[in-house]
Amino acid sequence: MSLAAESPLQSSSSSDDFAAFLDAELDADSSNSSPNGESNDDEEIDLKEERIKRRKVEMSETIEVIESSKTADVNKEKSVLSSESTKPNLCPHPGFIKGLCLMCGQIEEDDGSGVALSYIHKDLKLGSHEMNRLRGADLRNLLREKKLILVLDLDHTLLNSTRLADVTADEDHLLKQADLLQDDPNRSLFKLGSMHMLTKLRPFVRTFLKEASPMFEMYVYTMAERCYALEMARLLDPSNIYFNSKVISQSDCTQRHQKGLDVVLGAESVVVILDDTELVWQKHKDNLIVMERYHYFASSCHQFGFNMKSLSQCKKDESDTEGALANVLNDLKHVHHIFFDPALDTDLSSRDVREMLKKVRQDVLHGCKIAFSRVFPSTVRAADQHIWRIAEQLGALCTTDVDSSVTHVVSTDTGTAKARWAVQNEKFLVNPRWVEAANYFWCRQKEDDYVV
Amino acid sequence: MFFHISMEKNMQLHPRHFGPHLRDKLVAKLMKDVEGTCSGRHGFVVAITGVDDIGKGLIREGTGFVTFPVRYQCVVFRPFKGEILEAVVTMVNKMGFFAEAGPVQIFVSNHLIPDDMEFQTGDVPNYTTSDRSVRIQKDSEVRLKIIGTRVDATEIFCIGTIKDDFLGVINDPGAAA
Repeated sequence: MSLAAESPLQSSSSSDDFAAFLDAELDADSSNSSPNGESNDDEEIDLKEERIKRRKVEMSETIEVIESSKTADVNKEKSVLSSESTKPNLCPHPGFIKGLCLMCGQIEEDDGSGVALSYIHKDLKLGSHEMNRLRGADLRNLLREKKLILVLDLDHTLLNSTRLADVTADEDHLLKQADLLQDDPNRSLFKLGSMHMLTKLRPFVRTFLKEASPMFEMYVYTMAERCYALEMARLLDPSNIYFNSKVISQSDCTQRHQKGLDVVLGAESVVVILDDTELVWQKHKDNLIVMERYHYFASSCHQFGFNMKSLSQCKKDESDTEGALANVLNDLKHVHHIFFDPALDTDLSSRDVREMLKKVRQDVLHGCKIAFSRVFPSTVRAADQHIWRIAEQLGALCTTDVDSSVTHVVSTDTGTAKARWAVQNEKFLVNPRWVEAANYFWCRQKEDDYVV
Repeated sequence: MFFHISMEKNMQLHPRHFGPHLRDKLVAKLMKDVEGTCSGRHGFVVAITGVDDIGKGLIREGTGFVTFPVRYQCVVFRPFKGEILEAVVTMVNKMGFFAEAGPVQIFVSNHLIPDDMEFQTGDVPNYTTSDRSVRIQKDSEVRLKIIGTRVDATEIFCIGTIKDDFLGVINDPGAAA
């Protein structure tokens, strides 16, 4: 719609001419290159005369064109700017926001490169070079403040949610409880009517976040949808101190069904990940601490194929002080401590948290020699088995044959030859869950609790 | 930059408003519909200052709504490349900061923040000079220069810089507190 084109329809008042002027002005700006030629200047002079007349006529007008006399100057400046933009382009275009280059403000030519960081701003896209630059700058900052980066998963790690429709009959009391507690700031059960969700925070989670925040810069990284992720972050962090614009959700992932650190603006060597699913972190297993899944609601248990009663049905909950989060907090403190250990003679920036994690993990079952009996079929390669690898990561020596140096026999059956051998020779005979538990708690468990 | 211009719009009015206050209703609806909107061409409509002319209404067949061509005067705000603006910082992150000048959102990347200012994390993320004398955080007022604008149908977005003479913080809430 051009105002200028419409003007002949009306009596040519001065304001219409101004609209024409504005059009010309805007066009000049959008094309961004047309030098303000003589014809334009003439027009302007005419316009100025018109305007003066108009002022005489309409003295009562309260708001006038501001600084109209300066438009000429702006035009001059504009031509300077446009001559700049015709020079060979030296800007490396480090990234784009809403299609504008961060550095020179030019409109992006869409070449499809760069990583979208929509969790920071919905139209932000950065080139890989810029990401690396930011990571480097960030690393210096973090190390100066003695902080590492902690990436947290939501569901089954920090909390458990169920749809309201999936709440079973013996969980109905929770709905009432959630309604009753609505004003309690320390409640851990939330009914989110707008999302049809019932959410239970894992015990200890608030203390966990509070104590971890001085040591870690924290991200939320979940495979859930963005609105859910933001809502959960709000429950965990109502005053927005921990996760300020660091909530990464499904739409930000660069690969389907995989979580990657490529969208996290932090160097991989200082990232610790807490997640209950190892599978999604294929590329970053070394950064990962696997958490025991938190199943509070019955529907969540069913999803994972467990048929026992859920915590909510038994009206129980994880222990506040000895639960998984309290446990992992101790591990995190330990890792943080050895990372920033002044006794180490290596340079801070060359230290790698992955090495530290590996070292801490290797101490868990240090000195144990484990023989497996009927835990996996004898036809497969033993060293490829999940439980074998876990045991090795925890620092244990693994074997398939028994000899006098073996300390533990892992079996599901007391009737096997190796199991009987263990009983005869007074070695520990334990369930495979003993290894898994050690893996979750990063601590050698009492063998008596895991008898076959 | 602000401009005072004349614009025209076809307003649709429900027949229930027809009566002695028809004109008032029409003007009220015009203000509600137009003020605060943005057109890529003219920028943001800040305020309507007067209605010049309301043309003859035309009854729409089928609905009974009547369309009036309305000519009105309004103040519009449109940012230009090279323009200096004063803006309030709304968000600071390691990429840079966002600021608002009225309805316009401006992003200043850390490339365009003076090199001696460094990003500091914490409860209040901010950019601070090495001698800690100048700090940019949420609610700081800054003077910046627009270096790029993106004009959409409903929104104008700008890239700004404070890496130039006489640009930067003009009022620091942290210092006052």
